[in-house]
Amino acid sequence: MVQTILSRLATSLLVIFGASVLVYCIMYLLPGDPVLLMLDPSSATPEMIENLRAQLGLDQPFYIQFANYFGDMLRGDFGKSMINSDPVLPKILEHFPATMALTALSSIIAITIGITLGVLSAIHRNGVIDFVARLVGLFGISMPTFWTGILLILLFSVQLGWFPAMGSDGFSSLVLPAATLGLVGAGFIVRMVRNSMLEVINEPFIVALRAKGLSERAIMYGHALRNALIPAVTVIGMLIGDLLAGTVVVETVFSRQGIGRIIADALMAKDLPVVQGVVFFTSIIYVVLNLLVDISYSYIDPRVRRAVRT
Amino acid sequence: MNRSISWMKYMALAAVLVMVLSGCGAAAGGSANGAAQASGGEQGEQAEGGNLTFALATSPDTLDPHRSGLAVTVRAIRTIYDNLVVQLPDGSIKPWLATEWSVSEDGKSYTFKLREGVKFHDGTPFNAEAVKYNLDRVIDPATKAANSLALIRPYSSSEVIDEYTIKVNLDSPSQAFLGNLSQALLGIVSPTAAQKYGDQLGKNPVGTGPYTFVKWDENADIVVAKNKDYNWGPETVENKAAPHVDTITFKIVPEEATRIGSVQSGQVLAAETVPPQNIAALKNDPNQQLLQANTVGLPYTLFFNLRKAPWDDVKVRQAVQSAVDVESIVKTLYLGNYERAWSALSPGILGYDASLEGSINPDINKANQLLDEQGWVKGADGIRAKDGQKLTLRYVDGSPNREKRNDIAAIIQQQLKQVGIAVEVEITKDVATVIYQNWDYDLYGNSQVNSDPNALYAFYHTSAEGQRPTLSGLSDPKIDELLEQGAVESDADKRVEIYNQIQQYLIEQAVILPIYVFPYTVAASKKVEGIKFDSLGYPLFNDVRIQP
Repeated sequence: MVQTILSRLATSLLVIFGASVLVYCIMYLLPGDPVLLMLDPSSATPEMIENLRAQLGLDQPFYIQFANYFGDMLRGDFGKSMINSDPVLPKILEHFPATMALTALSSIIAITIGITLGVLSAIHRNGVIDFVARLVGLFGISMPTFWTGILLILLFSVQLGWFPAMGSDGFSSLVLPAATLGLVGAGFIVRMVRNSMLEVINEPFIVALRAKGLSERAIMYGHALRNALIPAVTVIGMLIGDLLAGTVVVETVFSRQGIGRIIADALMAKDLPVVQGVVFFTSIIYVVLNLLVDISYSYIDPRVRRAVRT
Repeated sequence: MNRSISWMKYMALAAVLVMVLSGCGAAAGGSANGAAQASGGEQGEQAEGGNLTFALATSPDTLDPHRSGLAVTVRAIRTIYDNLVVQLPDGSIKPWLATEWSVSEDGKSYTFKLREGVKFHDGTPFNAEAVKYNLDRVIDPATKAANSLALIRPYSSSEVIDEYTIKVNLDSPSQAFLGNLSQALLGIVSPTAAQKYGDQLGKNPVGTGPYTFVKWDENADIVVAKNKDYNWGPETVENKAAPHVDTITFKIVPEEATRIGSVQSGQVLAAETVPPQNIAALKNDPNQQLLQANTVGLPYTLFFNLRKAPWDDVKVRQAVQSAVDVESIVKTLYLGNYERAWSALSPGILGYDASLEGSINPDINKANQLLDEQGWVKGADGIRAKDGQKLTLRYVDGSPNREKRNDIAAIIQQQLKQVGIAVEVEITKDVATVIYQNWDYDLYGNSQVNSDPNALYAFYHTSAEGQRPTLSGLSDPKIDELLEQGAVESDADKRVEIYNQIQQYLIEQAVILPIYVFPYTVAASKKVEGIKFDSLGYPLFNDVRIQP
């Protein structure tokens, strides 16, 4: 087990490095000159532009720029924003908790609604609950996030006044954004869990359990659900990654602080050091999530655990 | 059963974790959420005190006036910094931090007497040294000044005469100079703070203004508090002393539906830039008021790139001018809430030529006739061609669809199709490269907030060798001469005459298609009183009161 985790960690480092290199290349090759974006093009003189470019080291060849950047990053120096000279690392650390809270609460909402509705709809197949669950699934998957967000604002802020429409002050301002993202996630999980439950329910071992006289409840929640969860966990792992990406839209709609908005602004302004820093951190999270998903397999399914041991 | 119970335990644990994390993410002073702040205003017993929450559409780039390149910054920095002079809506210049001034006979030096007893928020005294430091700071390349650099030209140096007298020298006379000194981007910063913070002054702004800086949480809010010692307000406001409200919180809310929603839900007391489709609803809302001020300077104008054929041909440009129905574009897109522009300048600025209003009206027959005369013949596909060359117009616009500018492009594309001109619309985020580096466009729109008609110089004067070209690419010795005269002419009537001539030329020669005058709109709760606007259309908060 330990060996597996160690080798996974080594691969993870490679993935993080690869992501950094890739993003650096993409940003470098994208059209657009960050210096022109920083200075007002209608008033800056060519001389000013050249001076600034030299100051930022952007007149150096590509490989030198990259080597400088990566060397600094290994020493923990992620550089300064090219737009407002803010150091990148403190900026990311400051905004990370807000995004993590949003991702975490929306994951909880997605998983709770998703698994509950998924299981119920499989058990009560073709009933009213099944119909509702499939509707929620369809809604979550097909509605654009920003649209759902605006609908929730209109209903719960403007009409009912229950939650603030924007901001990142405390738990109440977290509810609507998390619900927006959570609905999307729930949509995927409902469908996944429902399908795998239906498959499991028809398997011979369920018939055997029924023959042994176990209660329907024990069969469904003790045995069927546990077997149906394996594919669901894979989906959930990937989904949390998607939710993290979804914070870009949701943080903008709800005017929340967070790394989603930082990277959106930074991409717009071609603020290379900031984009690099955020990508570095999010790639760490993706890698950790994948690791957790793998470990949780062995927890849920003893067969996987035994296979790892041998 | 056991399993499902422990599963719930994990969920509960995770929920607690989220609450802790969200607590960390919250602003310092945590428990006061937005709704509570708004209701704090309701509970205030008198019209003194309270917190004005004001939602901004975009985030300021920096609170260092000299380094900012964004108009949105001015909404916030106007509260923190004062200027030497103030410009009234009629264009006249009045005292502010400077009490009086005189201009030398050659028009190249200004001697300012400064107000005594003014202190910066950090205690630094305001005096001639401080002014000299500020002006020199703008032209120092190390400052990386942005728009302020264009405003301060042709400044060369200043001399401290005594503690409260300063002589400012220019390279050449400029009628725009005094007016520019009134603009917020040339606000006076504390020399002590500027030296202490360097390029981080934008995060730690210190001025002499009616409000002092409290904090800036990136992408969330900027808070300023009342400067109790303030008593040198300019003529543009009634309350020259300390403001009535305790604090202003500028919230940054880019999504327009959220911004309007947060005013309607009472989470903020005011929000800027109301989309045209929401204006009617807000006007009918008994709890809301709509404040509006037209911005001054260059209206949103489409510039032909005269360097590229066939747009160097005045007849072809006039054909486009006759084929485009600006009136219906502005009415359709802005539902009667924006004014149509008629000239290269917007109404309200010195020298605006009102006689141009109503001068150009759509005339499809005239457009067709002009194109026929120039040898552009309609082909089978309905597009005109000459010498095997199709008549196509490359229309570039920036993204996203700011003020529905992308939609203007789409409508013009349809309108020009009728007379046989194919319009290729390119919407790009990267106008810096496409427009200002490659100059690869036939038609491109821009606008500029400015207090002086000299703003035309940068758009229509022949660009000098090695300098960046102008948007229009116009090069006409007659216009160059007029623009040069306009910059230095001290007789106001003569100046007006000069700028009238320039505006008439630009419309007659169809160098541009002026489209709309941008109104700065604010939706506010009826509890808010006294938001005023300066001569450029920026909000002033000196007189604001929040009624209980």
